[in-house]
Formats: sequence, C-alpha cells, structure tokens
Amino acid sequence: MLAVFRRELKSYFTTPIGYVFMGVFLLISGIFFSLMNLLQNDGNYVNVLNTIVFIFLFLVPILTMRTLSEEKKNKTEQLLLTSPISIWDIVFGKFLASATLFFITLVITLIYPLIIKFNGYIAPSEVLCTYIGFFLIGCSFIAVGTFISSLTENQISSAIGTFGALLILWIMEWITQNVQSGIKSGLIFALILTALIVIIINSTVKNPYFSGVAGIIGLLIVFTVYFTKKSFFEGFIANFLNWMSVLTRFDSFSGGVFDVSSVVYYLSFIFVFLLLTVKSIDKKRWS
Amino acid sequence: MIKALNLTKIYGKHVAIKNVNFQIDKGEIVGFLGPNGAGKTTTLNIITGYMSPSQGSVEIDGLDIIENSSAVKKKIGYLPDVPPLYMDMTVGEYLDFVYNIKKADISAKEKAINEIIETVKIGDVKNRLIKNLSKGYRQRVGIAQALVGNPEILILDEPTSGLDPVQIIEIRNLIKSIGENRTVFLSSHILSEIEAVCNRIIIINKGEIVASGTPLELRSHIEGSRKLQLKVKSDKSIIDDLLKISGVKNVSIINNAKQEEIEIDTIDIVVESEKGKDIREDVFMLAAEKRRPILMMVEQKFDLEDIFLQVTGKEENKTN
Repeated sequence: MLAVFRRELKSYFTTPIGYVFMGVFLLISGIFFSLMNLLQNDGNYVNVLNTIVFIFLFLVPILTMRTLSEEKKNKTEQLLLTSPISIWDIVFGKFLASATLFFITLVITLIYPLIIKFNGYIAPSEVLCTYIGFFLIGCSFIAVGTFISSLTENQISSAIGTFGALLILWIMEWITQNVQSGIKSGLIFALILTALIVIIINSTVKNPYFSGVAGIIGLLIVFTVYFTKKSFFEGFIANFLNWMSVLTRFDSFSGGVFDVSSVVYYLSFIFVFLLLTVKSIDKKRWS
Repeated sequence: MIKALNLTKIYGKHVAIKNVNFQIDKGEIVGFLGPNGAGKTTTLNIITGYMSPSQGSVEIDGLDIIENSSAVKKKIGYLPDVPPLYMDMTVGEYLDFVYNIKKADISAKEKAINEIIETVKIGDVKNRLIKNLSKGYRQRVGIAQALVGNPEILILDEPTSGLDPVQIIEIRNLIKSIGENRTVFLSSHILSEIEAVCNRIIIINKGEIVASGTPLELRSHIEGSRKLQLKVKSDKSIIDDLLKISGVKNVSIINNAKQEEIEIDTIDIVVESEKGKDIREDVFMLAAEKRRPILMMVEQKFDLEDIFLQVTGKEENKTN
C-alpha cells in the first residue's frame, strides 16, 4: 500500500496535475481571503472556507480523473493486479495520495488564519473545526472521484462523470425539497434501498444464501416498521436524501461544533465509495 | 509447476478460450504458439491472475491462483503484451516501485535490482525517464520488471513484437539465459522465435489447444512417412530397383523441378519409406552397385511452418 501511495503522490508532481490542483486552489482561496477578510477588515475566516467549498466541484475531478483510468489505459493495471498486493491496497494507496495532496494544500492555506491572528482576533477552535469538516468533505468527494475513475479508461469521461456526480451531491438538498413524501412512496423507496443493499452484500460475499437471509431480514424490518409505525415512511425519501447530503453535514462543522456523528458519516461515506471502487475493479476480472 | 485445468473464458457471447488444458514442468521453456486472436493473451492473463476464468482453474506449484492469489503471484513474473511502464518514472525508480509491490526482501533490494539491471543490460539508461526510452529499451525494462523478486516462473507475452532484428536476437538470447534456472512460458505468433528459444510447444487455435509437444514430436506426429529426395544420374529403371529396398513404400518422379535445376541425363525422384526406417545407406549402396551416381540426397523435413499450418487448418492458404 505504501509503495502505491508514494508512487501516486510523486506522480502528482511529475505531471502537471498536482501543480494545477494546488495552484488553482491557492489562487481561488487567496482571492476570497483577500476580498472577504483583508479588504473588508473582517476577521471571520470561517466564512471564506464556507464560500470556497464550491471549488471541489471543479478541482476534485482534475485531481482524481487519472487515478485509476490511466492505469487501465497504459496497461500498468496489469502490473498492479498481477503483483501480490491486494486491490484494496491499490485503491486505498491511491486515495490516500490524493487526500495527502489535498491535505498539503490545506496546510498552506493555514497562512490566512495566521495573518488574521497576528492582526486581530480569531477563534482557533472554530477555525480548526471548519478545517476538519472541510478536509472530510474534500476526502468524501475524492472517494467519489476515485470510484468514477475506476469505471472508465478515458480521463475526460472520468472528469466529467465525477463533476456530474458531485453536482448531484451538491443539489441533494434542493432535490429533497421537491420529492414526494407519501407513506406509499416512502415504503417503495425503502424496498428499493433494501434490494440495493442486498445486491451490494451479494457482490461482496458472493454467497447467495447469506444475501438471501440478509434480504429477508431487511424485508422483515421494513414491514415491521410499516405495520407498527406508518408515519416513519412519511417523508422518508426526503429524510433519507437529507441524511445522505454531504453538504448539510458540513454546516455543523462551520458552526464550530465538532460533530462525531458527522465524522463517522464522512468516514463511512469514504469507505463505501472505496469499497465500490475495489468491487468495480474486481468485477471486471470476472466479466 | 503450471497446471491449467479446463480453462474457459467467455466475454459476453464470445468464447475466447475453451477447455484449455496443459501442464508445464519445472525448468521447461515452453512456447505458446497461435495466430493473432487465438486466445494466447487471454490464457496468459488467467494464469497470472489478472483475469478470472469463466470455468476451470489454474494451479501454480499445487496452489490455486484464486484461493492463494498472493502467494502464487509472488512466484510469477509477467511481461504482458504491452509492457506495464510508468512513463513519468526513471528506470531505477520504476524497478524500485515494482520491487516494493512484489513484496520481495527489502534488505536485499539494492543488490537484487542492480543484478537485474546488469542481466537485462539497462545500466546506461537507469536514470532516464521511461518515456524517453526507445522501444527496445522499454521492452528490456518490461523484462526487468518481470524478473523482480526472482520469480520461479516467467510468463512473457510476445516479448519481441515490434522490435528490429538485432533487438529480437538480443531479447531471445536474454530469454535463453534467464530461462536457464527458471520455468518460462512464452507466447508468440512467430514460429522461428519459438523454435529458437523453446524446448516444447503448445499450439492454440480459435481458443482450443490443437497440438503440444517438442518440435521433434510434432514433426513425427504429422509425418506419416519419411521422404528422401534424390537426384541420380540414371534413367527411369532405377525406380524399380529402389522399390526392392525393404521399407520403401513408394518412389515418384518430381516433374515440377525448376528449369535451372534440371540437368541432362539425370532424374529427380522422391523415395517414400516407412516411418522410423532409415533407408539412406541402402539407397547409396544400391546406386553404387548399379553404378548410378547419386548427385544429391536430401531428407525432406517438415518444418514447424508446415506443422503450424496443418494444425491451424490453413494448409489451403499455403498452396494457394
């Protein structure tokens, strides 16, 4: 895993991608810092981080577009997959390299709050919390990008696909406001979710009996809830999508609250997408 | 060492290989021969664990490739049809990276890499970026990569494709030398290459194994009889005399000899004898006794080309 991580991190600096990512990130954050803090004589740095979250939409696709697609295109994937390291090592090493580049870039931006600190007042805990949230949300997006780059061998398709997926995550909140909220539609949605989970379990353990049992348990839970507490399904879709929304969870961090459940949420989000990446690579070997 | 059992791979509706069975013993250099698209690369990709078979299994040293994939992969060095090179790395960095992912003994790293660099003769490009190397050197780096971790088995997919004649000879010699203490499985669609390097051949066509054996075995397999071509200073009466030699099945005159090869007062004939019977001495003695000088005596041999064309069902194309 370490070998893959080191190679990947180094390759960001032997190709233009690392420089483009860091350069654009620092440029945009610098512009916003100047406009919102320096020129306004305002010490509210958290606002800057809140505002520049949008740059993930453009920069994460650049960062992750070649992660796995290039390996496939250059056939170096064959070297990795015929070596004794596991697919998980490959995927995690690559994800960690992207996350590290992002982390280094974030460390550089610490100059901004320091500038404020020397010239006025800043709440360190609030800034730290926002940074943690900012880093976690970035890593979640990187995990999505890593997954999408495993689906194609074309970097452009990978970048556009990632952009599309991030955009959907972005407007999730807006989507939730416009979905149906009846009990029936909630029940149907829960059944679809159960089916999806069973499919994922089956592709992981490749044991139809185990997946069958999991499916039956899932159905039992859904129907028990339906017959005992129908109101649960009212607005279930909206609640679920809201719960899934990556951005909503960032709000608590930028409010200066260190929310453990959100940290767990982000880590699970990352884990699920990395797992999907491993599965998508593994599946190709079987098809 | 390598055992392929009933390997079948199906892509959608296309059957790439079907019931492929073979065994390769320790220390053998085996050639895997077949026309383009016959299923060579698919088979190699399955043996190396890059792909999984739709049916069947692969055993390396008695271990199943899927169940013990990590242990098995340590035993195999693989050069795919396109060398898996990172263009943004130098040769040294690249081999270092491969050494790490092959989980070889870290303490011996520098020595092992230097040995490999010496074996494949890439010392002078060690610090150059791979993207700036010529195709021949890239192929060498590809072979070097397969040697990392000192694997017992080397699997090489078309190792000389796209190289110039000098490079081809160099790579062949390299394969011979590194194959001295390893098991090598080498695919190619070029016969001369396989014949130059391998001591056993497996021929695949349209996804199925159609023949297997040493070049000698393959020859005798398709030769029903031995044929001796003669140019004798004689008239046709010699034919009757030749037919009296024990073991001779048939004697025929060659009419289609090239114009410039026809000599006055001579006769070109082919003597066909039973399989495994050497009649050359008897023919010589008979001609001497009858005072019919033999000007030329050549044993007609089937070359691998004939074998290949015959087993892949393309004889018609050759005669056309």
